[in-house]
Amino acid sequence: MSRFFAQGGSDSEDESDIEEEILEDQNNDINNRYLQDNSDDDDDTDTKRVIKPTKDKRFEEMTHAVEQMKNAMKINDWVSLQENFDKVNKQLEKVMRITEAVKPPSLYIKTLVMLEDFLNEALANKEAKKKMSPSNSKALNAMRQKLKKNNKLYEEDINKYREAPEVEEENELEDEDDEDEEDEDEEDDDSKEAVTDEGVGDTTDTRWETMLNKKDKQMEKLLSKDPKEITWDWVNQKFKEIMAARGRKGTARFDLVDQLTHLTKIAKTPAQKLEILFSVISAQFDVNPGLSGHMPIKVWKKCVLNMLTILDILVKYNNIVVDDTIEPDENETSKPADYDGTIRVWGNLVAFIVRIDTEFFKILKSIDPHTREYVERLRDEPMFLALAQNIQDYFERMGDFKAAAKVALRRVESIYYKPQEVYEAMRKLAELVEEEEEAEDAEEESGPISSFIVVPEVVPRTPTFPESGRAMMDILVSLIYRNGDERTKARAMLCDIYHHALMDNFGTARDLLLMSHLQDNIQHMDISTQILFNRTMAQLGLCAFRVGMITESHSCLSELYSGQRVRELLAQGVSQSRYHEKTPEQERLERRRQMPYHMHINLELLEAVHLIGAMLLEVPNMAANSLEARRRVISKNFRRLLEISERQAFNAPPENVRDHVMAATRALTKGDFQTAFEVLNSLEVWRMLKNRDSILEMVKARIKEEALRTYLFTYSSSYESLSLEQLAKMFDVTEAQVHSIVSKMMINEELHASWDQPTRCIVFHEVQHSRLQSLAFQLTEKLSVLAESNERAMEARTGGGGLDLSSRRRDNNQDYAGAASGQPRDWSGQNRGGGYAARAGSGNRGGMQMDGSTRMVSLNRGVRA
Amino acid sequence: MAETKENYDLTPRVAPNLDRHLVFPILEFLQERQLYPDEQILKFKIELLNKTNMVDYAMDIHKSLYHTEDAPQDMVERRAEVVARLKSLEEAAAPLVTFLLNPAAVQELRADKQYNLQMLKERYQIGPDQIEALYQYAKFQFECGNYSGAADYLYQYRTLCSNLERSLSALWGKLASEILMQNWDIAFEELNRVKDIIDSKSFASPLNQVQNRIWLMHWGLYIFFNHDNGRTQIIDLFNQDKYLNAIQTSAPHLLRYLATAFIVNKRKRPQLKEFIKVIQQEHYSYKDPIVEFLACVFVNYDFDGAQKKMKECEEVIVNDPFLGKRVENGNFSTVPLRDEFLENARLFIFETYCRIHQRIDMGVLAEKLNLNYEEAERWIVNLIRTSKLDAKIDSEAGTVIMEPTQPNVHEQLINHTKALSGRTYKLVTQLLEHTQGQAAR
Repeated sequence: MSRFFAQGGSDSEDESDIEEEILEDQNNDINNRYLQDNSDDDDDTDTKRVIKPTKDKRFEEMTHAVEQMKNAMKINDWVSLQENFDKVNKQLEKVMRITEAVKPPSLYIKTLVMLEDFLNEALANKEAKKKMSPSNSKALNAMRQKLKKNNKLYEEDINKYREAPEVEEENELEDEDDEDEEDEDEEDDDSKEAVTDEGVGDTTDTRWETMLNKKDKQMEKLLSKDPKEITWDWVNQKFKEIMAARGRKGTARFDLVDQLTHLTKIAKTPAQKLEILFSVISAQFDVNPGLSGHMPIKVWKKCVLNMLTILDILVKYNNIVVDDTIEPDENETSKPADYDGTIRVWGNLVAFIVRIDTEFFKILKSIDPHTREYVERLRDEPMFLALAQNIQDYFERMGDFKAAAKVALRRVESIYYKPQEVYEAMRKLAELVEEEEEAEDAEEESGPISSFIVVPEVVPRTPTFPESGRAMMDILVSLIYRNGDERTKARAMLCDIYHHALMDNFGTARDLLLMSHLQDNIQHMDISTQILFNRTMAQLGLCAFRVGMITESHSCLSELYSGQRVRELLAQGVSQSRYHEKTPEQERLERRRQMPYHMHINLELLEAVHLIGAMLLEVPNMAANSLEARRRVISKNFRRLLEISERQAFNAPPENVRDHVMAATRALTKGDFQTAFEVLNSLEVWRMLKNRDSILEMVKARIKEEALRTYLFTYSSSYESLSLEQLAKMFDVTEAQVHSIVSKMMINEELHASWDQPTRCIVFHEVQHSRLQSLAFQLTEKLSVLAESNERAMEARTGGGGLDLSSRRRDNNQDYAGAASGQPRDWSGQNRGGGYAARAGSGNRGGMQMDGSTRMVSLNRGVRA
Repeated sequence: MAETKENYDLTPRVAPNLDRHLVFPILEFLQERQLYPDEQILKFKIELLNKTNMVDYAMDIHKSLYHTEDAPQDMVERRAEVVARLKSLEEAAAPLVTFLLNPAAVQELRADKQYNLQMLKERYQIGPDQIEALYQYAKFQFECGNYSGAADYLYQYRTLCSNLERSLSALWGKLASEILMQNWDIAFEELNRVKDIIDSKSFASPLNQVQNRIWLMHWGLYIFFNHDNGRTQIIDLFNQDKYLNAIQTSAPHLLRYLATAFIVNKRKRPQLKEFIKVIQQEHYSYKDPIVEFLACVFVNYDFDGAQKKMKECEEVIVNDPFLGKRVENGNFSTVPLRDEFLENARLFIFETYCRIHQRIDMGVLAEKLNLNYEEAERWIVNLIRTSKLDAKIDSEAGTVIMEPTQPNVHEQLINHTKALSGRTYKLVTQLLEHTQGQAAR
């Protein structure tokens, strides 16, 4: 939406932009009212305006009138046009008086020209004239006469203007900055209209024709020039001219691109061609205004091709250097290709590639993921990868490893979420595209004009992929670790971890995460990195589940689920919160952060994994501590859900993931592992998993184990002894397993019992404390808590003095949830690795000051020797 | 079986972290055990020697490998080159060497380094160049296999050297020499010295520091399994947080040695629990029968599995260059560590087994302990007599009955609170120190 309208602020105005165009054609009366409103509103709403000198004020009034005339023209409303024309004339007098100028301001002249053109057109179009309402046609005739009379006065100026509109405009620019800004906005609106929808109304079309005529003329000028006459100077001058028009009113962005593209063809030296190409790309970026919209796909593709051409030039003429730190000298680009020294051209390849990537992202985000189009777009990815690869190669050759690392990160970010199968598919696709591309190239070359500087395609147009995604990641990531800056390294590390997790290398992924100390300082990073971190944690949790490490999986995921904002945390949609209203601003920001669909982590699967993990941990835990309720809670979220489901009078058959897990939980609490497993087995989400059967086997085994434990906790008090055989039969587990599980419980003093080996029985010991004794135990426990908190307070104040304190805390790595139950802070809150950090402590890796570098330890092992 | 033997052989993983010369003892051992074909080992030896100056030795090996009498040309040339270089270095270092050979002159040296340098310069015309030459000469001696000479010179060099970097590498050299000469006591002192420097020195990158620690641990393996007190010391060193981290990140195979030390050493039980956690964590990156044995006993309580692992462990120990040291005892050669390991491992199993049982059949027990019935009974009686085990034997039923280990409530309470006073005391001292520190500022 243009700034011009947004300024108003009131609702009616916000809408007016769209409504106007739709309604106006059909109903002129309404139109009038609208316009009238507009004019009034404009005066009102410009309240923020500071006091200006009278001269400016007059000017502004005039500009407004002109503006309204334009609007009127658009909708063919001659009545209001006439009114406004009179107004302008009146104001002209005032302006002339104040400025004491002899000549009328160029704005006025321009308006006259515009009017004249428009009038002629309207008269020529007999049919349209017939259709006009009587009042309108009357006004038209009156207008014709008035204009004729009026224009005679200014004939000279008008002619001058017609000859050289540019010059006039420039003067005007200097004179009236304010006005120009507003005009620009207006123009924005117009051009966008033209881009998005060409047939808004007949009248707009006609107006656009005139515009086109103008630029056609310009193109003509460029094209008609005899090739022999073209010199470097001439091209340079033209280039400057066009560049000066950039961002100005009256220059449609597409034309700018076209003109510049043509210029590249007639550029005299490679350096000049390069310089112009840079401008082409910038102009292409400009095609899309605003942050939320995205570049048209065609333009994006062209942009990529242009970048490749740039690289061709750079590779072929390696004495040309691209740099954005120095201001190059005026005639730098005139140096011919065989110039001895280095030629510096202003430009920043990294910025371009980053922009191209973001645009690609935006394009994907704006497409409905379930359509064919989305898939089509995804096919463009190899194209981007090829470009990135080439640029990275180029930087490496030039020795600019910092920039290379940045580009490498982009590549990493576009492959890290791809499992091997997808990667494979992309590799195959890239090979296919290669053939197609060749055909296309042939067509293009047969274009009308061949350029002066023909650059052969030096750089390959297709990316080369190593066999496995892992191999590619390794290459890129180690480059980044060596050369990147802090943020680049952190992001690369997260991607690396994500990818390891995707490949089911839980150990490696976990070690990387712990060694990088990312979870300690992630909340100081920017939000997109935090999102990446959250995604990584989610993937790590899934990975841990897949390899059967339930505890780890749960501690990875529990934090994501501690507030009901998973969607938000993973940037996969917006969750509505009842308590917390978002401003539109926030919401827009959030939308901008969203991940494209193909990168999403399946939320249902994630929820299933999280809840099943919580169930497996929590059910035996609840059974063990049934007497002293809620003393030790592992998963608050799970407890809450369980409470809700228990409160229901009737339990319907399960529908969503949550219901399923709750049903399974009910079965498990009774020790009924079969039902529990069957309920979980019926979940839909399992088909998302690659090795589904083995994972379900694992889940089954775990359920049996936990069922056994729960059973023992719950019913041990009712038995004097229990035979091994019976237990094994009851839970369909091997005797060795039962033995192992029960032994573990005995050692950990969860179960007060011991084996009777000859009879293969568990003998339970009655342990009962008197009231005094249990009170004494409680007292000692409280004392130790007190001591602990004292130490912690001390540590916080002195800055973590005592080493032995932390080691002691490691012993009682009790409740993850306790630490994670955390404060619902905003974004950062979720990332503070409460639960996981506790594990990090117990993981014995604390206190090691190294980030990514550790990885290289293993790579460089044995340098000596 | 041969295949698994090779699987457990850590030489390829250990060797890159050692000095060339230190690899020889390992190769000798492997040759003796005949794990690999002789030829392969000989070839490997030549390759190693090519970079050192022990050309004569290389020639011998070459001869025995290809069964010829003449050495290849390049070796002969290299020999001449080495001798020439030795000569020139000898000359360069001569003034200082003669000075050092003169006991009377050496007496004049004092603890003050600056003074020494001054004195040497003034009275003997020995400047930094000569001192540097001494270092080069010592290094060359080491390369040639003359370890005792190298060790002496390096020792002298260190008293005179002012460059910290150089001093450290001299120290490494000294350590290697002492190890190769099998002076375990001195080597151990050197080891501690290197360790202090590594821990205190600021390295260019943490990476370097880790690498240095890893080297140190590898070199230390020679000492720890030969020194009398080594098994305690290995735990002291490896189990430090910093070193354990280094092991986990870069050299998980060292866990084997640490695990062995833990099993053999009875005094370090308290730390064992921590170590078990580490093992669990590194489970995916390194597997080894010895490590797995610990996991069986303390994580899975799978006693049959532990039994099997014990047999594999034996194999591993015998074939490990560091663990499988042989002692010739008359006609027998035994591996003392193996016996010790088995004994302790058995005890480990039994202890844990007893903790969770109330009644055990003697026959089963004997089987689990790899003993026959009589022996098992005697073994248990001994345990009971030395009051390591609170149990009785029911000889009629042929079972061992554990006394119920009901922990006394009173005792438990005391256990809970015992540590508290110490902690509080420590807290107060810390607090006081802190406030004093602030007041001083």
